Amino acid sequence: MNNRFPMLSGGAPACACQCFIIPTKVLKRFSRDKKLSAKVRKAFALAARFEEHWRKVRAIKAKLAMTAQAMLPSALAAAPPGPPAVPVFDCRNGTALPGASVPKPGSSSDATAKRAFVETTDVAEFYKKLFGRNSIDNAGMAMISSIHYSVKYNNAFWNGTQMTYGDGDGNIFVDFTKGNDVIGHELTHGVTQHSLALSYENEAGGLNESISDVFGSMFRQWQANEDVDKADWLIGKEIMGKGAIARGYTCLRDMSNPAAKHCLAPQPTKFSQYKDGMDPHESSGIPNLAFYKAATAIGGKSWEKAGKIWYQALTGFGPSPNMKMRAFADRTRSLAGSLFPSQPAVKTAVDDAWTAVGL
Amino acid sequence: MSKLHVERIGGLAAFGTAHSRVRSHGEIEIAALSPTDQQAVEGLFQSQSKGKEKSSQARDAFRYRITRKTPQGVETIEAPEEAVPEALSQCVKDELV
Repeated sequence: MNNRFPMLSGGAPACACQCFIIPTKVLKRFSRDKKLSAKVRKAFALAARFEEHWRKVRAIKAKLAMTAQAMLPSALAAAPPGPPAVPVFDCRNGTALPGASVPKPGSSSDATAKRAFVETTDVAEFYKKLFGRNSIDNAGMAMISSIHYSVKYNNAFWNGTQMTYGDGDGNIFVDFTKGNDVIGHELTHGVTQHSLALSYENEAGGLNESISDVFGSMFRQWQANEDVDKADWLIGKEIMGKGAIARGYTCLRDMSNPAAKHCLAPQPTKFSQYKDGMDPHESSGIPNLAFYKAATAIGGKSWEKAGKIWYQALTGFGPSPNMKMRAFADRTRSLAGSLFPSQPAVKTAVDDAWTAVGL
Repeated sequence: MSKLHVERIGGLAAFGTAHSRVRSHGEIEIAALSPTDQQAVEGLFQSQSKGKEKSSQARDAFRYRITRKTPQGVETIEAPEEAVPEALSQCVKDELV
C-alpha cells in the first residue's frame, strides 16, 4: 500500500502537502501504521486533521458562493466570472492522487495530458454556454484531472473532488481520456453532487448514473454539432480496446437500445425490470432510454430542449438524495410544460418517453 | 481457507454485474500479505460486520468483493477500492466473458 504515498526526499509523505485529495480514513490508517517511522506517522496524522478542517472550509466556501449569488444585486451577479482552472496531474502509473502537476497541459507533448485539459475545458464551456453554469459547483470550482492512474487500469472515476483516468489495458479498453463522453460523464458526477446530490444506490443511484450518461452523450453530440438523428447515442465507443471490438462490443452502453448485444454491459429497458440493489450502471438504462426517446421525438439538437429540461430538473430544486425515478420523470414532465409552454409537443414527447419505459 | 478470493466489481463498465461481459477475479494467499496488509484486511472484515462503512462521494470507482473461509464459515465482504490493500487489487485479472 505504501507506494500510494511516495515519500519526499526529506522522508515526509508526499501527501503532507497534497492531502486534500486523499481520503481521511486512509491518512488515519497510515498514521497508525507501525511499519512507518514516528515522523512519517505524525505527518499522516497531521494531514488527516488538516483534511477534516479543509473539508469544512470547502463546504462553507461553496455555501457562501451560493448565498452570494442569491443576494448580490443582479448586475453584480450577472458579471461574467472567469473560466475555472483546469489543472492536470500525472500519476505516472502510481495510485497517489493527485500526482505530479503537469505544467501547461494544453501544450503538453503527452497526448493524454493535452486531451484531459482540452476536453475538460470544453466541458466547462459546454455547461457555461448552454446552461449558464460556472464549473462543477456553479461557483468556479477547479476542474482537476489525474491521468495515467495505476498500471493498465481499466476505469475512470470521480472521487468527490476530482476526475481520475486509467490508461486501459490495451485489450478491453484503451486510454479513458479518449472518450469525450467519458470525460463529460465523470464531470457530470460532480455537477450532480453539487445540485441534486443523488445517492449511489437503488433508484437514486440509477438516476445519478443516467444523468452522467445523458450529459456525457449530449456533450459528445454538442462537440460534433450533431442532431438527435445523426447521433449514435453510444457511451464509451472511443475507449473500447481491440479485444472487445473483436468480440463485437462497440460500446459500454447504448442509450437508444440499452439491452443491445453490442454493449459491454447490457441494461434493462423497462422499470418493471428494476430491482433494489442493482448496480447504478444497470438501472440507468431505464432513464437513459427515456431521455433518448424524448430527445428524438422532440427532434433537433438534444441540448436545445430535452437537455434544458433535464438540466433544470437536475439543478433547479435543491438536493434530493433519495429521489425515485418516477419523481424525476414527473419533474421533467412538469418542466417540459413550463419551459416550453407554446410547444405542447415537447411535453407530449417527454410524457410518452417515460410512459414507454414504464414510468 | 488460507487464501482470499478477490473480485473487482463496478466501475464505469459495471464489472461483474448480472449481464456485464467483463469479469475480474483473483486469489491471494493470506500468508503472502505483509503484516500491515493482513491487519488491513482483518480491519475490513471487522468494520463491515459492525456496519461501519461510511457513504462516499466516489462515483464509478471499483469495489472489491473479498471472500475468506473461517472456522465459523465462509465470510464475504465488499469494500471500496481506496480501502483495499494494493496487493489485493493487483491480484485480479480483468477478462471478457
